[in-house]
Amino acid sequence: MPERKVTVESEVGLHARPAATFVQTAAKAALGVTVAKGNGEPVNAKSILAVLSLDVRQGDTVVIKAEGEGADELLDELALIASAP
Amino acid sequence: MTTVLAPVAGAAVGLWAVPDPVFSEGLVGPGLAIEPLREPGRAVAPIAGKIVKLHPHAFVVVGDDGRGVLVHLGIDTVQLKGEGFELLASEGDRVGAGQPVVAWNPVEVEAGGRCPVCPVVALDAVKEAVTRIAEGPVNAGDELFRWT
Repeated sequence: MPERKVTVESEVGLHARPAATFVQTAAKAALGVTVAKGNGEPVNAKSILAVLSLDVRQGDTVVIKAEGEGADELLDELALIASAP
Repeated sequence: MTTVLAPVAGAAVGLWAVPDPVFSEGLVGPGLAIEPLREPGRAVAPIAGKIVKLHPHAFVVVGDDGRGVLVHLGIDTVQLKGEGFELLASEGDRVGAGQPVVAWNPVEVEAGGRCPVCPVVALDAVKEAVTRIAEGPVNAGDELFRWT
């Protein structure tokens, strides 16, 4: 399954604006998308509750996975959001 | 159906009144906000459930039906790094609706140049699922909105 591993650079981690933007982008896609913190359990990347509960902080690594048509483009976009400072 | 309570005392306002587009544009989810009374207070759990995330400036309670409600105490208050906030519960605790979770002082938040308005957001909900109950003044623990 295509995946991207990125380090979260935002000062607030994957909370507030980065989290909301990340989830909105994932939710627009017709594919299933998951995100995990490090080697942790993947959660639904389309759920703001799931993403906020992951509690990703600045400097943490996340692994984003998606499968299906357009997965690579979507993952590139999500990786960009997650790694934006 | 979930009835979401006001976590703090003040005036119930629309999310549009929150000076942060993440909330005012509904990016986090639908809900309401409270313009808090300018006095020290205790923010209470808006629903019964488990505190899945507890930061000094924000917390999420998830009910037994899996629905999560976010309470954010002021805008950009993450920058305070917990100063001026006292945790009255722990992450992972089960709380009743209306049980105190964080003590804070909106006066201090405002004195520090930040807006103390408190968004209360139904996470992963569609806009149509939220119906406003409160108009104007509310006490902490009063019914704020209905989530169907």
